[in-house]
Amino acid sequence: MTPSDTAEDRAVRQLVHRAFKRLTGRSGEPVLYALMGDTPVGLLGLAAGPAGLRCLEFIGGEDPFVERLLALFPDQPVERSNTLDKVRYELERYFAGRRFTFDTRVDLSGLTPFQRRVLGETAKVPAGRYTTYSQLAAKAGRPRAARAAGNALHDNPVAIIVPCHRVLRGDGTLGGYAGGLDAKAWLLRHEGALL
Amino acid sequence: MTARRATDSDAVSLLLAKHGLELARHLRRLVRDDDVAADLLQDTFLRAHRALSRLRPGSNERAWLYRVATNAALNHLRTRARETAALEHHARESRTLPAWIADDGPGGAHAEPDERHTAVWARVAELPDRQRIALTLRVSDAWDYAEIAHRMGGTAAGARANVHQALKTLRKEFR
Repeated sequence: MTPSDTAEDRAVRQLVHRAFKRLTGRSGEPVLYALMGDTPVGLLGLAAGPAGLRCLEFIGGEDPFVERLLALFPDQPVERSNTLDKVRYELERYFAGRRFTFDTRVDLSGLTPFQRRVLGETAKVPAGRYTTYSQLAAKAGRPRAARAAGNALHDNPVAIIVPCHRVLRGDGTLGGYAGGLDAKAWLLRHEGALL
Repeated sequence: MTARRATDSDAVSLLLAKHGLELARHLRRLVRDDDVAADLLQDTFLRAHRALSRLRPGSNERAWLYRVATNAALNHLRTRARETAALEHHARESRTLPAWIADDGPGGAHAEPDERHTAVWARVAELPDRQRIALTLRVSDAWDYAEIAHRMGGTAAGARANVHQALKTLRKEFR
């Protein structure tokens, strides 16, 4: 995420990085975050590093989200930022039903190879369709690992963008969802996969 | 690295994450000097950290931070106004080329000492705040570095570095 910025923006960020380093010892690459309120599925928290989007979560409020980011990235400054406008725009477009795909780059570097394969296969399921945990496990190369695939989806750091809501139980029931089953059902109805 | 951090520094991190950028922008616009703004920003969040236990939940931490930062900046600007007035007074009073610039410069090359002297002091006024103030205290008031550090905050070594940097700039431009 290269923020488009002025000399003032750069100088201001520099001041905050100096304060982080001096007061908290955090000196790595900053993690930028933004909130998106008023979506049909509630409040969303977004966070990005230089290699792309790291989190898209259903959150209860700003403080718990920032505290979680501080724990997830213990050596890095965390900053509220207005540079995540592109992904916010894509999400607005998604919620408005104008386009269901995302061009935002995601950074899945913290995950295991299996988790990445599961999420990669999930990303191939188009809007309006759904798959099951066991089908997904098979596609990720471990046909008996439906439960492990479910866990990988549970740890999906970028909800909606990697559409883990398009994965259901083999019996057609919804299974689980980090944002709650109401949100999962809303997303599937919104995409036309459920009536 | 890990040992230095505790839960209370996470509380500072939380405040910095939420309000750091807008307060840095605010301070920088007020004092127009990055080093001063950096110091004031750190002071503000350090004070916030100390006051955290006293801040009632639900109290407006953002308004509180703005108030602390703004007061710190205004104090700084008042001090600077006094320093600048002292400098201008000094420039008017002195009639010779400052020895601290000229001492190892080319002798006899100062055809118009008054004019050059004024130019030097005008350049001093444009130095970054910490350099200008440290230099003034050092050459005009003949303070030692520990006293300068005590007055300005920071360390004696830092004060020495500020004076050194100021002299380096001036010698480069005026010799």
